[in-house]
Amino acid sequence: MENTALNIEYKPRTGSEAMCEALLDEGVEYLFGYPGGAIMPFYDALPDYPLKHVLVRHEQAAAHAADGYARATGRVGVCVATSGPGATNLVTGLATAQMDSVPMVAITGQVGRPALGKDSFQETNVMGMTLPFTKHSFLVEDPDELYPTMRRAFEIARSGRPGPVLVDVPKDVMFAACNDNGYRRLKEAPEPLASPALERAAMLLRNAKRPIILAGHGVTLSGAEMELRLLAERAGIPVVTTLLGISAFPDDHPLYLGWPGMHGMASVNRAIDRSDLLFAIGMRFDDRITGAADRFAPNAKVIHIDVDPSELGKVIEPTVGIAADAKLALRAVLGHLENAPAESGCGEWREELARSQEPEKQRRDDASGEYGPIRIMDAIKDATGGDVRLVTDVGQHQMWAAQFFEFTKKNSLITSGGLGTMGFALPAAMGVAFAYPDDEVWVVAGDGGFQMNVQELATIRDFGLNIKVAILNNGYLGMVRQWQQFFHNRRYSQTPITGPNYEEMASAYGLAGRTVEPGDNIEGAIEWARGTEGCAILDFHIDPETNVYPMIPSGMSVHEMIEEDGA
Amino acid sequence: MARSSTGVATDTPTMGIRLAGGIYALNRFLMTLQNKRVPVTGITMDGNSEGSRITLRLGCPEETARRYTALLSSLEDVDEVWPAEESMEVALLKPAAEGWRKSAERARIGFHEDGGTVVASGAPEKMEAWLDSLGEEETDIMRLGPMARPGNGGD
Repeated sequence: MENTALNIEYKPRTGSEAMCEALLDEGVEYLFGYPGGAIMPFYDALPDYPLKHVLVRHEQAAAHAADGYARATGRVGVCVATSGPGATNLVTGLATAQMDSVPMVAITGQVGRPALGKDSFQETNVMGMTLPFTKHSFLVEDPDELYPTMRRAFEIARSGRPGPVLVDVPKDVMFAACNDNGYRRLKEAPEPLASPALERAAMLLRNAKRPIILAGHGVTLSGAEMELRLLAERAGIPVVTTLLGISAFPDDHPLYLGWPGMHGMASVNRAIDRSDLLFAIGMRFDDRITGAADRFAPNAKVIHIDVDPSELGKVIEPTVGIAADAKLALRAVLGHLENAPAESGCGEWREELARSQEPEKQRRDDASGEYGPIRIMDAIKDATGGDVRLVTDVGQHQMWAAQFFEFTKKNSLITSGGLGTMGFALPAAMGVAFAYPDDEVWVVAGDGGFQMNVQELATIRDFGLNIKVAILNNGYLGMVRQWQQFFHNRRYSQTPITGPNYEEMASAYGLAGRTVEPGDNIEGAIEWARGTEGCAILDFHIDPETNVYPMIPSGMSVHEMIEEDGA
Repeated sequence: MARSSTGVATDTPTMGIRLAGGIYALNRFLMTLQNKRVPVTGITMDGNSEGSRITLRLGCPEETARRYTALLSSLEDVDEVWPAEESMEVALLKPAAEGWRKSAERARIGFHEDGGTVVASGAPEKMEAWLDSLGEEETDIMRLGPMARPGNGGD
């Protein structure tokens, strides 16, 4: 259509353009994706918009990169893939985000509407396939619904308990002309519970003799780190975190004890066992935390605060359950504790806990002089002064990083907790590096997981990302081997694993790499990596049979904890 | 002391749900029931392209049911969830023996006859117990579930 009077050509807006406009209106800066047949109209529109696209080398990496970006920034991460195999490759990334409540929008191309349901080339029912591990999913068949659906997807992803949302768009819908038919806002989020529950929680806190605050990922997701610290300091209550809650409270704070669970600190597990009040906030009593739930915190009353009401009573029945955002709830509880004397009530308890941690500290100090995981973590921490964002993969190294790296920077540990996704670290670190280009980003990975998304070194090189990689290479799928050692009579079935020469592989990707053997200078290698422009890979060869301790065998309690070799 | 949730069935809370229309919404709803291991002991549904109406009977304590109510309420496709306090189950049967009238009265099961078919209605647990008490020879039983209503008995 042409307006002859003004000589301006009007073009009806296409579905693809509506998608891009929705992304812009949501303030999206980066998309992580991989093009293909059914998503081509979207990629055709993309260059006309100020949206930065990161071309990954595998769609799984696009999902993890969007996830890493979202975890680091608190904003919604976006990934894009085509239909069929492109969409199926996103699945692990969506499940990872769902388990850890990460806000994400995944856009997938779909075969055109006339081809739907006919086993067409690259057709999969991605919406059906992802139902169990997306917060919501859309198949948009009406072009007029595209813009509002995209906006709604973002709102669903970030509201309440965050999670991934899938938007599946048939190719012809992207081509079709569409109108902006307005944006319908979501129904209002439920009101937090009334104040009596919060008042009761404050009263229990005031009266407890052996209280512990157990903080989870929800504290980070709601940006409640300051409120958490205020509460702990005002009431003088020791703090422990879940794995994903690490760095929601500074590790070097005198009230911080560590983290509990299967591989958490023995003293922290015992502290929970002895506590008379557990103030659990923004966490879901994962089985890796509780072990045998019927023997978890047997002496404690439980205050459980979570934004997702369905979490309350799911695993542990709380004394007081409060469905509320962590930040709002903490502020309300703080309000009820205004008159509490600072560090009141439980001085003896804090002293007892401090004493209980001394043997572990001694063991750690003794081991930190030896070549191995503890010294590697210490060296990275010392070299960076803790001003670093650490992204781990999944396995033994993940536990060592969580145990021995002292996290003092807010939201500085990015890790796959709930799903335990090997191959997560490298692409997730890309998302973190795009979000914070001036920050130092370290990947700590095992030699198994690192090889699962190693192709992303090409993406890292293309964008010159400043990511340093420490591979803790023991030639095994180490955590599985450890379980085989403990529970399968050392029958190391299919856990020895080989890999490339990482130095040469780095070189082939145009990156720098170095092998570090026992006896080599760990600190010097780390300084070399830090001084190298862009990405550098350190391949630390470590003892093949070093174990992670302590360990509470699956489904057991603190009383069955294994603390050292031969114990 | 902290208590773990057992999920042991001690009650049969019932809830009504109004759901958006279309197979996707229904599919997602059913997937959520399976995914979250909701202890469904009875389900009836009715719907069209405009929406679905579902009644769920759960085998869990009321407190646990409230948690599932919260979970289902938060689904994007769910328009409304409410406790269906006065749930009723309807069954159609052709009794083989004559004693069924007295036993129905004793069990507080409402009934009327429609042609040769007995239309019985009552609380789900009472209905369950009564049907069991009729014995295995009562093979011709059709249970319509808690959504159905017994009608006016032909009056």
